Amino acid sequence: MKPKRHLKLQTHYFIMTLPGLLWLFFFSIVPLRGIVMAFENYNPGLGLWKSPFVGLENFKYLFSLGDAKRVIINTIIIAGSKIILNILVPLTFALLLNEVRNLKYKKLVQTAVYLPHFLSWVILASVLLNVFSLDGIVNQIMHLMGKESVIWFSESKYFRQLVIGTDVWKEFGFNAVIYLAALTGIDPTLYEAAAIDGCSRWKQILHITLPGIAGTIILMAVLGLGNALNAGFDQVFNLYNPMVYSTGDILDTWVYRIGLVNLQFSLATTAGLFKSVISFFMIVISYWAAYKFADYKIF
Amino acid sequence: MKKYVQKATALLTAVTMAASLTACGGDAAQAPADTPATDAASNEESATQTDAGTEEASTSSGDTASETTGDPFMKFAEPVEIHIGQQAYPTLKFPDGDTNEDNVYTRYLMDNFNIQVVVDWSAATGNDYTQKVNLCIASNTLPDGMQCGRKEMLAAAKSDLLYDFTELFPQYASPQVRAIMDSGDGSAYEYSMYNGKQVCTVGVDVAASGESMVNVRQDWLDELGLDAPETLDDIEEIARAFKENKPAGDATIPIAGPDKNNTCYTNFLQAGVSSCGFEPVFAAYDAYPGYWVKGDDGQVVYGTNTENSRKAFERLASWYKEGLIDPEMGVRDQADEQINAGNVGMYFCAWWKIGYGITDAYRNDPTANWQSYVVKSEDGKWNTREQCPVASYCIFNKNISEDVAKAGLIINNVWVRDENKLTTEYGANTSIYWYPLRNSMGALDECEVTYDALMQVLNGEKTAEDFNRGTDDAYKLLYNDCVTVTDCVKDYTAGSNELGIENFDVNNTNFPRLYSILAGVKPSALNRPDKSVYSACYSQTESMEAKWANLETAEKEMALRIITGKDDISAFDAFVEKWNNEGGSEITAEVQAQAE
Repeated sequence: MKPKRHLKLQTHYFIMTLPGLLWLFFFSIVPLRGIVMAFENYNPGLGLWKSPFVGLENFKYLFSLGDAKRVIINTIIIAGSKIILNILVPLTFALLLNEVRNLKYKKLVQTAVYLPHFLSWVILASVLLNVFSLDGIVNQIMHLMGKESVIWFSESKYFRQLVIGTDVWKEFGFNAVIYLAALTGIDPTLYEAAAIDGCSRWKQILHITLPGIAGTIILMAVLGLGNALNAGFDQVFNLYNPMVYSTGDILDTWVYRIGLVNLQFSLATTAGLFKSVISFFMIVISYWAAYKFADYKIF
Repeated sequence: MKKYVQKATALLTAVTMAASLTACGGDAAQAPADTPATDAASNEESATQTDAGTEEASTSSGDTASETTGDPFMKFAEPVEIHIGQQAYPTLKFPDGDTNEDNVYTRYLMDNFNIQVVVDWSAATGNDYTQKVNLCIASNTLPDGMQCGRKEMLAAAKSDLLYDFTELFPQYASPQVRAIMDSGDGSAYEYSMYNGKQVCTVGVDVAASGESMVNVRQDWLDELGLDAPETLDDIEEIARAFKENKPAGDATIPIAGPDKNNTCYTNFLQAGVSSCGFEPVFAAYDAYPGYWVKGDDGQVVYGTNTENSRKAFERLASWYKEGLIDPEMGVRDQADEQINAGNVGMYFCAWWKIGYGITDAYRNDPTANWQSYVVKSEDGKWNTREQCPVASYCIFNKNISEDVAKAGLIINNVWVRDENKLTTEYGANTSIYWYPLRNSMGALDECEVTYDALMQVLNGEKTAEDFNRGTDDAYKLLYNDCVTVTDCVKDYTAGSNELGIENFDVNNTNFPRLYSILAGVKPSALNRPDKSVYSACYSQTESMEAKWANLETAEKEMALRIITGKDDISAFDAFVEKWNNEGGSEITAEVQAQAE
């Protein structure tokens, strides 16, 4: 096929990507010029280009703040755990569900676990605060088992686990869809051949299923790595309170309080830029790692 | 299968939207500094009166105040467009067909003054709105006018984005608006200034909004044969009795605490007091956390870091440990829900909450006799904090024309003069919150003056007509309150000065306001503070701008963790040290310099 004809055949694909590209341009490329704010003492009256330039002052100041360290640690722990568990749990779930023979039951389960994904954190936070409240379901069950009641969301030692756990609970059904889709792409003759060769179901999973969807798993992991510093603003913001700042305050909530509540635009931009730069490196590393270890190229 | 998913998704979306609307609506219930709710029928008289007043004011305004050269109620020859940013109240609906650009208020402004209100954008009240305001400031895209808080006003003023009203305000503010600005020590002007220029219009809040009281279920007290509380020891004893006798069963909460949207006490940057906060407990120890307190020696200290605050924290922690304070304070979504459900025995807040804030409590249980008392120290003194007299701001874009600036002032004048008329005759179905660029204006002593007047009317010493003082009067709701009080209060024994919930018609539209005044303002009308403490400053100093967010975080964390027993009192000392090291001492020096 000649290159020109090739392009022509793909025109409709380009048209389909256009809205996404436009969105990317206006909401991700255009705002890039705002990065300048991180290096100046931004004054809205003077505007982006005339505000006084201060070099790396904002960065120095940001890291001199006592909270910076704890916020970064919290972010990495929460985001890191979410990335790992949001791959492992949906994957395991998809593999298990794939083995279920009763179709009705299978679809029912799939739908049920899929639903929480569509609820916003604003609503879920209220629900969770109630479920984990002093006379909520969780404490009632603990009570039946003869245990002391705990006010879960006021205890800093439980906060991270709750945030991570509830996020995985909310998303695993949705994330599993991707793996289920990948599973259908595996050639069924492979399973037939393996069965004839005397492969147990476990061996089939190990030697056919997992290699068959390895590409998808790696893709999800690599895409996830870009979120290494995204611990989930919506969720944490709606669940946290000052009693759990020590384990629950993350970069995004911190930036929110500095930038939008306290009107420190430059400082907030600095923190945001720091986050983006780290994320960028994470993506570069994961891209390289995917190619190196799994011989997989994303683009 | 696909169909079901779609259906379920649609259903969930609907639930989601409904719930988010309710969630946003929460804020609208708060801060009703002077919210009248009047039914049209009882008010014909006052409405006609205001009508007559309108003409009088517009013809004679020239000579009512000598410095007025402009007409504060002038009608423009050509329509003047004013573009605004509007706070939206998702739960407060318009009558059919009306919008935030076309409703009773905007039509009134158009018909009578030729002012065309154009809403450039609107955002849900609370965080969303503040966020939008801050983005407007950051991107230098202010609409002609919008409401905001002090912090935002100062940030915009500092970047030189605001219209200079220094000359226009004295000419076009109505005598009534100026009377309210002048009430108290006239410091309202100071708060509208930046670098010697008047850069905004301000809303003056009644002083009572800054004084927190203990509110208690009088019917529970009576049932247990207890006296009304006076000191912290009394409150402790009553709380203990509530805990033991459980008047509301196992759900009984002796003392409510702040929910996750509130703090243990407000600081100098915030207007008002914290809902279900603990300000009076600290004040009884002569401690004023969150305020810059100037001592007798002229030294300014940050109120949180004092030995007295430490004692109050210890006291609160012991109450919490004993189960006298809501165990879920700081985590609860809404503390008011518990009060409305009839589970709470006591809470601390300013005058407005007892009526405006917890109306549902009386609907659910008409015998819930909430009464309000001042909290005194061991030696019988009433110490209290006083808030910044200015609680709301409207800012205007630097580049607006003089006509638009005049329109902004006229909109404010009209609100102060015609609030009653608009809400009764015209706007019975439209919440006052939708009035464009609304500044809540109440003379500083409006609450106490109104309480005295209402008692005089109820005792038969005066009639409502005695308080009909025309439209230049600073006490703009007084006459209406006096007219409506006799409808709402029944079976009152003249001269007894005793009013319980049984004397009120809780379904009367004026009930929230009248109960707030007659029960909530009663303690501050009958007692005067032995010590009133103002913060030495109510805005941010230079180094605060960068450092305050961090210090505030640490303070909130310390306060909640100590009271709830997560940390012992040594965390207080650690906090003070951290606070001083991370910019606190530097900030204190700045506030000190400013105070001198």
